[in-house]
Amino acid sequence: MSESTIRLVSLYPTLLGTYGDGGNVLALKHRARLHGLEVEVYDVDPGGAVPHDADLYVLGGGEDTAQVAAANALRADGGLSAAANRGAAVLAICAGYQLLGESFPDATGSPAPGVGLLDIWTDRLPQRAVGELATNPNSGTGVDLDLTLTGYENHAGATHLGKDATPLAKVLAGSGTGDGTEGAVSGRVIGTYLHGPCLARNPELADRLLGWISGRQLETITEAAVEDLRRERLATVLDR
Amino acid sequence: MTKVRTSIAIGAGKMAAAASRVSGRGEGMVVGGKVVLRMAPDAMSDLADGRVAALVSATNGKTSTTRLLATAVAQLGPVLSQPTGANMTAGIVSALAYGPRDGLAVLEVDEAYLPSVVLATNPRVILLGNLSRDQLDRMSEVAMVARKWRTMLAAHPDVIVVANADDPIVSFAAEQAPHVIWVGGGQIWTADSAVCPECGSLLDRTTAQWSCPGCGRARRATTWELEYVGGSGTAIGPDGSTYDLSGLQLPGRFNASNATMALAVCAQLGLELNDALTRMCTVTAVSGRYAVVKVGELTIRLLLAKNPAGWSELVDVMAPPPNPVIVTINSNTADGKDPSWLWDVPFEHIRGRTVIATGDRRADLAVRLLHAEVDCVVIEDPYAPNADLPPGTREQAVVDCAATYTAFHTLRTRADKEAQARS
Repeated sequence: MSESTIRLVSLYPTLLGTYGDGGNVLALKHRARLHGLEVEVYDVDPGGAVPHDADLYVLGGGEDTAQVAAANALRADGGLSAAANRGAAVLAICAGYQLLGESFPDATGSPAPGVGLLDIWTDRLPQRAVGELATNPNSGTGVDLDLTLTGYENHAGATHLGKDATPLAKVLAGSGTGDGTEGAVSGRVIGTYLHGPCLARNPELADRLLGWISGRQLETITEAAVEDLRRERLATVLDR
Repeated sequence: MTKVRTSIAIGAGKMAAAASRVSGRGEGMVVGGKVVLRMAPDAMSDLADGRVAALVSATNGKTSTTRLLATAVAQLGPVLSQPTGANMTAGIVSALAYGPRDGLAVLEVDEAYLPSVVLATNPRVILLGNLSRDQLDRMSEVAMVARKWRTMLAAHPDVIVVANADDPIVSFAAEQAPHVIWVGGGQIWTADSAVCPECGSLLDRTTAQWSCPGCGRARRATTWELEYVGGSGTAIGPDGSTYDLSGLQLPGRFNASNATMALAVCAQLGLELNDALTRMCTVTAVSGRYAVVKVGELTIRLLLAKNPAGWSELVDVMAPPPNPVIVTINSNTADGKDPSWLWDVPFEHIRGRTVIATGDRRADLAVRLLHAEVDCVVIEDPYAPNADLPPGTREQAVVDCAATYTAFHTLRTRADKEAQARS
């Protein structure tokens, strides 16, 4: 492994892997290869120590019981918080996103404690949000994407942002957090409800994460299959 | 005795079903059942009337297991079952209303509908096969389904449950019943039972005997076991009696598992088991699954592949590389509207074959396969005479075609229509 190899940790894929979000790891490996970057992936499951010194940590969606188990294990371990405080990047999807906050609803609806990495807390939407989600990324978040984000949402969470978190995007179609915004950013920690998987459908975001870590200005590379999918998905919900 | 109200409703339902068939909208099962239910809401319990021998529920294998079991139960006399796999309320009512009057019923039931169907039909045996992620936009999460099954079984202490001991989620549901016949049916897809559904601890799977370090739950001692070695299965029953499953015509480990579970139900129903197995071995295709049909220029073998657990069992059944395969992905309601599950399917295992990607969500499939480093061509209609197929596809005697639920049925219908046009 060379000095410049990107170290990617897939956090608790057995707990947070219900909605195809393992695809984000595949997308990061794929984009890294296109840009000539090397990636080493470490799967960590509860009981195993979370490395403090990796570059990027990804968390996916999961069921209620698994979500509580994952949050408890991450708090007990402390490695993720240590890494994020050191400046490592984190991408968290859906249940993984919620558990990075102060609290989220457990299977019975009672608040369960989160990891406290993002200044957010989550309660329940009046109605479950299921369907295509398209959002317009906000400027000034530090993520600074140009392209519309596309994905699929399936959650019951209304996520509320505190002063230390900035919404990732404005909702163009779908529900998002329920207040017209979607996702949260704090430094290099990003949370979102976008499944799809998020990074396969939004390679610009994958490249942003890889750019942060590698410190390189990555060139724009598009792939026909991905562009076809983006165009098709966005056309189903946006009038264009 | 069927009530007058139900009898009148059955007559009306029959007309609606016939109208649906004539107009080409469907096979009429569901429409007929819906009409009956609208006129006689209690029709299901009225029609069941103590003759439901078994209900079969699972995420995967419901239709095949039900067919194997129904075929075996014919040993006792006439059997009624769903001919088309319509496994929600209307389809079940329709099967009960229009099957043989004095027949025993062997019915498949959608996982979410099982509690209400058990309540209405009071079956003698319930077969619980497996639970895994499927249609996450519609179905509850698997642990939620298991909790509903638990409540259901607690309310029906007289029913006999035949349950797959290798699926910890099924086991969690079934342990609630006083009479459980545990079957070691195996489980290849374990990603949906990583944690204990009761206490949330990560299950220990270091041996074939799963256990929970948190609450002490563990795989139960079994009465029946499937042994599957080198592509052929043996069911081992009580007292070590063995049943050679190599005569089954339905392919794969999962069908050997389905047959083992069906045999365990047969034992509870008092069937002669060697004869039951002989009957199961006559089943070739089940509602089109594994059927070889001609569509357009191609002869294809239809494989139903609707979720990651199903896919993980199907890869071994497919023709080996470099044979191309057709994969058809739709996202209608019955398929699950979100095809994110494609990312949970180990498509990396089909490398070496060229995939012909088709169906409404072929663009999603193409991106998934790009990331799996599997060669893929996207073709809207691979059966069209001018389709630009990979070299050698047309020369292949039978092309395997894996399809999601609605894509599967569209292909069956198309094959039937074309066969009629040829004759």
